Amino acid sequence: MNEFVLALAVNGLVWGLIIALIALGLSIIFGLLDVINMAHGDFFMLGTVGGLAIAVSTGSFWLALLIVPLIGLLLGAAIEWLVIRPTLRQASLTIVTTFGLSMIIQETVRATYGPQPRRMAAPIDGTIPLFGIDYDLYRIAAAIFSALCLAAFFLFLNRTKIGTWIRAVRHDPETATSLGIPVAQITAFTFALGTAMALLGGVIAAPITTVEFRTGIDILPFCFMAVIIGGLGNLQGTVAAAIMLAVLEGLVTSVVDPTTARIASLAFMSAVLLLRPHGLFSGATR
Amino acid sequence: MTAARARLICLIVFAAALLAVPHVLPAFGATFWVNIVAEILIWSLLAASVNLLLGFTGLLSFGQALYFGFGMYGVALSINNWDVGFLPALLIGIAAASAMALATGIFAVRLTWHYFAIITVVFSLIFYFAAMSTKWLTGGDDGMSFSPPPVLEIGDFSLTLADTTTQYYVILAVVAFAFAVKALIVNSPLGLSFKAVRENHRRAALIGINVFRTRLVAFVIAGALAGTSGALFAFFGRYASASYMFYHVSGEAVVWAVVGGSGALLGPLFGAGSLIIFREIASNFWENYLLAVGAITILVVMFAPRGIAGAWNDMLQALTTRGGHASDTVADTAPAVRDNALPEER
Amino acid sequence: MAGAALRLSGVTKRFGGLVAVDGVTIDFAGGKLNAIIGPNGAGKTTLFNLITGEIPADSGRIEFAGKDIARLKPHQIVRRGVSRTLQIKSVFGGLSVIDNIRAAVLTNRGIKAPFRLVSSFKSVSARADELIEEVGLTGHRETIASALSYGDVALLEMALALAAEPKLLLLDEPICGMGPQETERAVAMIRRIAKRIDVILIEHDMEVVFDIADFIMVMAQGGILATGTAADIASNLAVQEAYLGSPEDELAC
Repeated sequence: MNEFVLALAVNGLVWGLIIALIALGLSIIFGLLDVINMAHGDFFMLGTVGGLAIAVSTGSFWLALLIVPLIGLLLGAAIEWLVIRPTLRQASLTIVTTFGLSMIIQETVRATYGPQPRRMAAPIDGTIPLFGIDYDLYRIAAAIFSALCLAAFFLFLNRTKIGTWIRAVRHDPETATSLGIPVAQITAFTFALGTAMALLGGVIAAPITTVEFRTGIDILPFCFMAVIIGGLGNLQGTVAAAIMLAVLEGLVTSVVDPTTARIASLAFMSAVLLLRPHGLFSGATR
Repeated sequence: MTAARARLICLIVFAAALLAVPHVLPAFGATFWVNIVAEILIWSLLAASVNLLLGFTGLLSFGQALYFGFGMYGVALSINNWDVGFLPALLIGIAAASAMALATGIFAVRLTWHYFAIITVVFSLIFYFAAMSTKWLTGGDDGMSFSPPPVLEIGDFSLTLADTTTQYYVILAVVAFAFAVKALIVNSPLGLSFKAVRENHRRAALIGINVFRTRLVAFVIAGALAGTSGALFAFFGRYASASYMFYHVSGEAVVWAVVGGSGALLGPLFGAGSLIIFREIASNFWENYLLAVGAITILVVMFAPRGIAGAWNDMLQALTTRGGHASDTVADTAPAVRDNALPEER
Repeated sequence: MAGAALRLSGVTKRFGGLVAVDGVTIDFAGGKLNAIIGPNGAGKTTLFNLITGEIPADSGRIEFAGKDIARLKPHQIVRRGVSRTLQIKSVFGGLSVIDNIRAAVLTNRGIKAPFRLVSSFKSVSARADELIEEVGLTGHRETIASALSYGDVALLEMALALAAEPKLLLLDEPICGMGPQETERAVAMIRRIAKRIDVILIEHDMEVVFDIADFIMVMAQGGILATGTAADIASNLAVQEAYLGSPEDELAC
């Protein structure tokens, strides 16, 4: 029984790290463009579908891991230019736009890839003894890889020029413009980066989830929970919240059914929205 | 001919057409289209609830399906458990939805802008999951069915929903009444306070409007509209299902409202009508017609943010002499979170 | 109106480390046209925001008509008789001029009826038309507010403020951005209004202030630098220094 609970907790940690990656993408899009991206979960789904497709056709999962995020960058840039930017004039309706985008993405996948859910074989076989049970080696690898990607993201944001520009534009677009920072390009890049992160999360998760056109629907609320509870603008908070929520939900499902656990998380999120709109971990700076 | 006169004539023609549907359409061999129009009428009320909040009060709710669901289940549960008649069930559904709107609105309306949209989704998700997991009560995904009581029973004479024509007229009557009430509200002092809050909530407070309370009232009325839609839907399908409380339903309602024209009174009808008819026709030869719907949504926001009704009004204005009030058309659909926010806000 | 129009005691507001309003204590006498002047960043508009309840004061009392209004919400303060115009002219852009004012009059009279048409309230429309005349917007009755010229928007905003039947009117830079003719009109209107309503105005235009103000309060760095009549202030060395010492930002009115 104990090992079962621990396994659930570790599962939660694995998922938490993957979702942290996706939620960060959502956060930078929300934070910089002020857009609620209803299609963000579908970007994740594209990552799973793309990962499976490329892995199957080239025979190499690792190739997929490399290519899919790059596709994500291109896709994100294209969407930002074609869809987001022209509709930003109607700022309040961007949620409608991204909802339409979500429809398009889901139906495109359903049309080309088919409605049947598929599973993908893990690229790393075998198990490793953990807390007295045999735990999937791939999940451990996925967790480590996600953590590395998260670290790389924060390094990028804090140590590179573009990363600094992104932070400047998020903090104060007007001052950024007067400092000569190309705000429009940075905005486009941020959307592309956020998209790429969601697709990357999808590729990593592909072997441990069902691959089908509806996978995004479940992920979206979870990402929003992480962003809101972590605090909008507080990227580290988002990561912490994602991991915390996933682990807690994992643990709670050993006691109650998943639906009740999900309801509890959502209720918690509402409380945070109403009482501490800056998130749990304040010290959140915009 | 003034634009206002032209609009009135169009309205009369339109109303006449709706009244004639059950007599005209079957002549074309299209009996089932009578039901489609009935469905359009039902869904247009859900779109109308979004429209009231978005176009007239400046609040984008992505969770109206919650109140739709309460209306739906109000009818189904009261008929199955208490054996009530048609009108009481309808009223119970609407009351349940309104009460829910009040309970959630007290919290939701404190937030603005994106946070409001997010919390409306969250609230609707909470109850969607709750409804799904209490299968004993709600039937979960499979739903629960019931036999609708007769609409009217006087002695031996009874009107039931089993007759397509009766059902259509009952739905038309309720929907027309709801739209009439909405039209009255929107052009009343209450409606003017909605518009003031939409245009400039800071200025609204500075002329003495209690912005929170105004938004809450709008939210409850919108909940009542959504509940009416849900109640009618339950009667129409003779069943209620939790799957109609999912955020996709809310999202579709928003799409209908925006495509139809979020600032116009009959916009929801046009939006729901055009997209449902499109669905009926397109799904016959293209399985993935939703792709087109998504594309239409994006294109409307990009090029015609005032929707079908907005374009229609513009056309009428261009084709007729200058007449009618400036306040007939709504200048823009975006809520005014402009530079009138205090420097300390956002 | 005799007696104090507004009484501030130790009103303070901090934003993080910055003290925007620093323990301001002053009585604004009734029946006078009061003005608040001072260099940019002195805290004038913040003081107005505190009085209208749009931001909460950290400490102090704001007494109006014998009651402390410091903790009340903006709409409650308006109901009590304090009206205000904003620095960036702010009206209901998507509504017509008459609807703008009707909204204010209806609110002032507590009319919230949901099932009667606005147009059926004849006395409300009559009052709105009166106000249109008073501020000089006749002929623009049906114009959508967003189509008005800047000067006319300012007039509309004044009408909205008056529609609330205020006992105290706060005007934040009322002639900002106006040409000479518009300024003349506006100043004449302010003079007229000040005869029956207490007025406190924030203004940058010294000529206008010295011309019409009975009482001037000079703010600098959140506190009161000097008070008095136009003659007092004009000859006050400290005031001159405060203005010289601050960046000349003439356009930022």
